[in-house]
Amino acid sequence: MENNLSAENSLRIIAETIERSRRTITKNSGKPLILWGVLVALFSLIIWGLWTKTGSPIWNFLWFAMSAIGFVCMKTLFRNREKVPETEVSRMLGKIWMWFGIFATGFFALVWVAWGIRSLTGVEGTFSVDLTLIILLMMGLGGTLSGAVLGNKVVTASSLIATTFAALFLMVMPTGSPLRILSFAILGVFALIVPGIILQKQGRE
Amino acid sequence: MPDSMKTFKPLDPLLHSELRLAVMSILISTDSADFVYLRGQTGATSGNLSVQLDKLQQAGYIEVTKGFKGKMPQTICHITDQGREAFAAYVEALRSYIPSGKN
Repeated sequence: MENNLSAENSLRIIAETIERSRRTITKNSGKPLILWGVLVALFSLIIWGLWTKTGSPIWNFLWFAMSAIGFVCMKTLFRNREKVPETEVSRMLGKIWMWFGIFATGFFALVWVAWGIRSLTGVEGTFSVDLTLIILLMMGLGGTLSGAVLGNKVVTASSLIATTFAALFLMVMPTGSPLRILSFAILGVFALIVPGIILQKQGRE
Repeated sequence: MPDSMKTFKPLDPLLHSELRLAVMSILISTDSADFVYLRGQTGATSGNLSVQLDKLQQAGYIEVTKGFKGKMPQTICHITDQGREAFAAYVEALRSYIPSGKN
């Protein structure tokens, strides 16, 4: 068989193999987006429900639990799957979301540190940081950049539109309202789940 | 120049094999690939794939790193610069076999 390879067959093998591999990588890069999207949307609803019921925003600390669950799921759910190689695109996607995670967690911690310093030193005046809006915008930027890196206009547009609506919803809702947390559910669905499904579909086509 | 007068460039015999060509095509489009992934994508048997990877490694076209991920053995293959050049030259040579107007 090896000696009978024609030039056309060789070119066909190259094209088909690269295309098949590209589809597998595309399909697999959608799965983590869906997982994190479901978690973000689910925790957004849980935190909103608990916050509404108890009247305490302390439930926002559940976001840390969500991160832990997400990492455990990534390790267990994808453990037995075919090891998909990294490409420049998948590595960039990983870095975008890794830095989003670091910034979001770091900023959340920073707000509490600042609040603690102000309380201890008795600084007067209103302490106002719209943490939800800042994290939401970072998340929207992450989704939009992911679409740009993937060269997928639908993913880029979906993230951009979702961020716009979620940010608008957030700004319209009164400060301190538990309803504001639902903006993450909007973003979870349209900036993570929808792009993830699109990528999976593209991988299957 | 008419097709009949065309000179055909020699094809690298190491790459002119269905399985080795498929492996190199995957590695050219990714930084590195795991043995299991290569086996799944090419549909080759483990034994045959091992033999072909060994040939590519001996030619200096790929680097094979064996290690462990947790308790599971893992074999990672990377394409080398020499491999990239050989693949590019092979594709260039293939073009000389395609009749004018087709490429």
